[in-house]
Parts: sequence; structure tokens; C-alpha cells
Amino acid sequence: MSQVAKRLFAFRGLLWTLVVRELKARYRGSLLGYFWSLVNPLLLLAVYTFVFNYIFRPRMEGADPYALFLMTGLFPWVWASTSLLEGTVSLTANAGLIRKAVFPAEILPLVNVLANLVHFLFALPILVGALLVGRFMGYQVGGWEAILFPLVVALQVPLLAGISVGLAALNVHFKDVKDIVSNLLTLMFFLTPIIYVLDNIPAEFKVLRWVIAWANPFTPFTLGYQALLFHGAWPAPFVWLHMLAWAAGAWMVGSWLFARLGENLAEAV
Amino acid sequence: MSVAIRADNLSKLYRRMAPGFRLRTLKSALLDRNLTDGLSPEDTIPALEGVSFAVESGKAFGIIGSNGSGKSTLLKILTGMLKPTSGTVEVSGRVAALIELGAGFHPEISGRENVFINGAVLGLSKREIESRYDDIIEFSGLQDFIEEPVKNYSSGMYVRLGFAVAIHTDPDVLLVDEVLAVGDEAFQHRCLRRIEEFLARGNTLVLVSHSLELVEQFTDEVLWIEGGRKRLQGSPRRVADAYRHAVAETEGQTHLEAKEERERGLAEELEATEPPEEAAQQGEVPEEEILRWGTREVEIVSVRVLDGKGNEKYNLTSGEPTIFEIQARAGQELDDFVFGIGIFTPRGVECWGVNTHIGGYVPEKLAGETTVRLVCPSLRLAPGEYLVDVAVHARDGYPYDYHRRYLSFTMTSREAGVGIYFPEFEWKFDEAVSWKRDHPKPTDQDID
Repeated sequence: MSQVAKRLFAFRGLLWTLVVRELKARYRGSLLGYFWSLVNPLLLLAVYTFVFNYIFRPRMEGADPYALFLMTGLFPWVWASTSLLEGTVSLTANAGLIRKAVFPAEILPLVNVLANLVHFLFALPILVGALLVGRFMGYQVGGWEAILFPLVVALQVPLLAGISVGLAALNVHFKDVKDIVSNLLTLMFFLTPIIYVLDNIPAEFKVLRWVIAWANPFTPFTLGYQALLFHGAWPAPFVWLHMLAWAAGAWMVGSWLFARLGENLAEAV
Repeated sequence: MSVAIRADNLSKLYRRMAPGFRLRTLKSALLDRNLTDGLSPEDTIPALEGVSFAVESGKAFGIIGSNGSGKSTLLKILTGMLKPTSGTVEVSGRVAALIELGAGFHPEISGRENVFINGAVLGLSKREIESRYDDIIEFSGLQDFIEEPVKNYSSGMYVRLGFAVAIHTDPDVLLVDEVLAVGDEAFQHRCLRRIEEFLARGNTLVLVSHSLELVEQFTDEVLWIEGGRKRLQGSPRRVADAYRHAVAETEGQTHLEAKEERERGLAEELEATEPPEEAAQQGEVPEEEILRWGTREVEIVSVRVLDGKGNEKYNLTSGEPTIFEIQARAGQELDDFVFGIGIFTPRGVECWGVNTHIGGYVPEKLAGETTVRLVCPSLRLAPGEYLVDVAVHARDGYPYDYHRRYLSFTMTSREAGVGIYFPEFEWKFDEAVSWKRDHPKPTDQDID
């Protein structure tokens, strides 16, 4: 696993070039370019604010105003799920590249993770703006604890990289993996405390609560983002440890899988 | 001399991709760390078996072989794209492969940006690409289109840009697979010149090509692989000639089989019916498809082509002795008969035709079976494929037995040339003319 990390570091120039290629290709040919990255979060903000203020008013403790709570968890989730979906097929989708040149293919899932991170950061001003407006309107949201936000992001990168490197290697051999992943992600969205607060799960669903809290790698990250950006609080130490454990574990398992399955990719993809 | 490439006992097995094997493959990959160990022989296809060779640095090395012989697999192992199933390969220095060009090109992005991406994929740093950028663009000849997205490029432009980047990576070892067949004439010349300069600087080249002329022109040593095994290795002339010879042999075999097939057909026809007034003569078959006509008063039983030693052979070498042998049978005694042979190209050009009547032979008597031989001490046809018509008829042209396209043969030659006629020749020059490379003279040891 350290070998995979070493190769990634040696090819960081290529990694950067490919991330830029990905971003350029996405905006090339569109008139408004970067602006489109803002449209979707803006639209979400407008719709959620309207719906959750006037139509459907969830009264959930620790989630007020609900639109802001939702968006705080949702944006990182979009980064994660898109990265994993694209990362899983990144080797098969770039079969031409793998067959044509000698270079570390484990870069490709990481390219997707980083390109989607950039999109996440592009959308961030909308979230920050909304939180500021919320604060201005008298809600107790956000705070200077947000300075630790980059740390959560930095831990989420190896988490996503590890999972997508492993899934990508599996997907080369079993094309079913990408379908499993896309369905699993739909389920995971609801198993992550994004649209609800973990403590509000009724006591009789003990097992479900346990699964959400301990078996879902995205839970501690979501709690972390919510604490820093929404609640204006420090995440509990065990949340940090939990994030760290998931990130390290995902990276180790993913790169181990890749090392085992990634041999002779050029003939397998 | 240091060795640039050393391949030792290389073997490569490809897995069959049937769905049932995938789980087993996964298991063996995860537990045994090997993708092929858990597979039985019928699950795999050997692409290379025990190939060893070494290339000294500064030499040009050619690899030839028919389609599917394992050339490209071998080259991909040398680049490191594929791992050999067993055996080792060592390549010293920076390697560039002109195998598939334009790795990492993104269609939506301009040619200029793609140069940087492709360069990075091939292992150049940003600064290295920047310093070579102008040379790359000049070499590609795409100055006017470099800001256009690559999706608007023609396939030739695409490959030219890819080639330009690859050749500017300044490798110590260059691996080339048949890519010279792309691009227009001028670009091909530029590529060849560039490769010559590359060799002149003392670098190492491995060239895989179906063009034996190119291999002979560029390389110092040639490896011929067939069915994944080394068949022959040695001087380009010797290996290329042996290869040509083997190809001609295969073609000769094909010609022989075609002829035998036809003769079997004729024998069956003979048993089935009395000499048919061919259906063709009643206008049911287009004229060019009629292959035999005549009254059969004399019947051609078989025709063979023999070499100077009397062996039946359908792959001939230009300038060698050749014998056409006709076996015929006359049902009754005849006093008017002509034997004739004509040689045609597949497109129907008559290369040579001769018969006993033109030759001044006046017939007296033909009875029973006969064997007629047309002996050519030196048959000088250009390399290519030829078809032979054979006929026995009366002096006024009245046909006894006329066979169109009775057999075919392949002519090969040590010299290149076009047309159908191939005389002995030699160029002579005075001292006003000089040559960088002289015509290589075939030596006796080159002849297999």
C-alpha cells in the first residue's frame, strides 16, 4: 500500500495534469463555464429554503434552519458519491489510456476524487454565503470552528481514494461492481445522517442506529462537517478518531486490492 | 558493448475471458498473488513461449512474423505495459514506445493542451515539454490547427501529433510497432529521417514491421517469431529471406491444394457424365467463368509445375529453372494437335504464351498417353501471383481440351521491381554518382 502511495507521489505532475484536463474538458465549450458549478447548489438552496419554510416544516432538534442543515451534509456527500461512481469506472473508461501508455493506473481513480473535490470547493461559497445570511438573520449557525474544515476534507481524500481505487480494480474484473456501487450509494445516502439527526432515530431501532453510527464511513465525516460548519462546535474527539480510522482503513484495503488485482491491467481492461 | 535490452525466456499466457473463469481468477489473484496460477492449460492461450534475445545498445533490432505470431505482445512486454507470465526482461535507459499514439488525448481540448497531457503521460515534466514544444509542433506540421480541439482533427493529424510528442521524449530505447504506415508520404519520410538521426546518435531501436524492406533497410539484426516461439534470429538479409521463403512455401502449398481440388472436381465430373457439351456453351454460365471446354478427343489428365530438380513446386523463384509438365491422353490416334501453355496475371494480362504450332512443330502422330514438358532454364517473371492456362487443340484452333486457370503459382524474387517481366539486370554508374547505401548483394549463405 505504501508502494501505491509512492507511485502516486512520483507521478504527482501527471496527476495534476489529468485533474486539470478533467476540469478543462468539463467546462470547455460551455459559455458560462464555472458558473454552472454554482447553478446547481444555488438552485438547491432556493428550493430547499422555500419547501422547508413554507410547505413542509420539519421540526427536528438540532437541525434548524433545516435547509442549511441539509446542505451542510449534502455538498460533501455529492463529492463522495460522484467520486466513487466515476472512480469505479475510471479504469475501464480510460482503457485507451491504459493500453497506450506505461503509467500508474491508480492515478485515474484519484483524478476523479480530486476533480470532484474542486467542484465541491467551487460550490462552497454558496454554502458559506447561505450560512452567513442565516447567522445574520439570527440563527445560531456556523462559527470560527470552521477553520478546521480543511482537515476534514484532507481526511476525506484518502477515504475516497482508497475506496475508489479498490472498487476500480474490482470493476476491471467484474463489471457488476459499478451497478452494485450505484445502488449501494442510493442506500448509503439514507444511511448517512444528512437529512436527519442521528439522535432523533427512535430508540427501538437500536441496530439501525448502530449501523449508521459505526458501519458507515461517511457518518463521522458528515458529523464533522455539521459540527464545524452548521453547529459551530468542535467535533467530539471520537469523531476525529473515527474519521482517521476510516480514512486509513479504506486506503489500506483499497490499495491492497489494487496491488493484487492491478497486475496486467492493460490486458484486462 | 553494453546490452540495452535483455529478454530471457519470456512467456506470456493470456487468460480466456469466459465468465466462469473470472471468479477463479479473482480468488487466485487475491490469495496467490498471481492471475494465472490457478488456471488450467485450457483456460489460457499462450502468446509467447520461451523467447530470449539481447539487443546491444546502439543497434537496431527488427522483429518479424505473421499476424498473431506474438510480435506486439513481445513489444508490449518490452515497454512494461504487459508483464510476462514467466521470464525476465531488462531494458536500460529511458524507453519510448511508438505503439499506439496520442495516449491521453482528450477530444474536447486543444492540440496544444493535449501535447502537455500526452507528454506528461509519457513521463515528461512540464518544463521538459515546454522546452520541446516548438520542435514538437514543427515536426507535427500542425501549426495552424494547434488551438483547435483534437476532436476536429483528421485521423492523420491526430497520429502526427501523437508521433511528434512520442519521438520528442528523447528516449534511449525506441520501440516502434508498424506506426510508420500512418501519415502522408512526407510525414513518413520525416519520421524515417528522425529515426535515422536517432540511430546515428547511438540509441537503440526495436522495429516491428510487416515491411521486410523497411526492416532490412533499418536493422542490424532480425528476430523472426512464429506462433509465439523464436523461429530464426540473425542478419536481416538472411532472416528476411528465410521468412519470404517460408511465406512462399505456404503460398505454394495453397496453390497445390487449389490445383488438387480442381483435379478432383474434374475426375468426379468425368465419372458422372460423358464429356459434357458444357452447360456453359448453351450460354448459362458467363464466359469468364467457363474453365474448361473442348471435344476431349485429347484429354488433359494433369498438369504439374516442377523445379529444376524435378520436385513439384508452386512457389517459384524468378530466374530459376521451371518445368511445366502436361499429361494427356488421346482417345484415338490423331495427326493434328498442338500443345500450348499461357501464363496470366490475376487481372488477366497475358504474360507469356507459347505452343508447339507457333514453335514450328508440325504434328504427325499422337496416340495413347503422353507426357509433354515445357522446360524453361530460367523463368523470369516479376514477383507476384500467376495463373496458367493449358490447352491441346488442332492447328486451326479447334479445341480438344482447353483449361482456363488450371493452376496458379507464386513467384518471388530477391530483387524488388514492378511489372511482369524480370530480366537479369545490374545498375552501372560513373563516378559522378555516389550512394549512401549500396545495393546489398545476395550471398550464397543467404540462400536457404
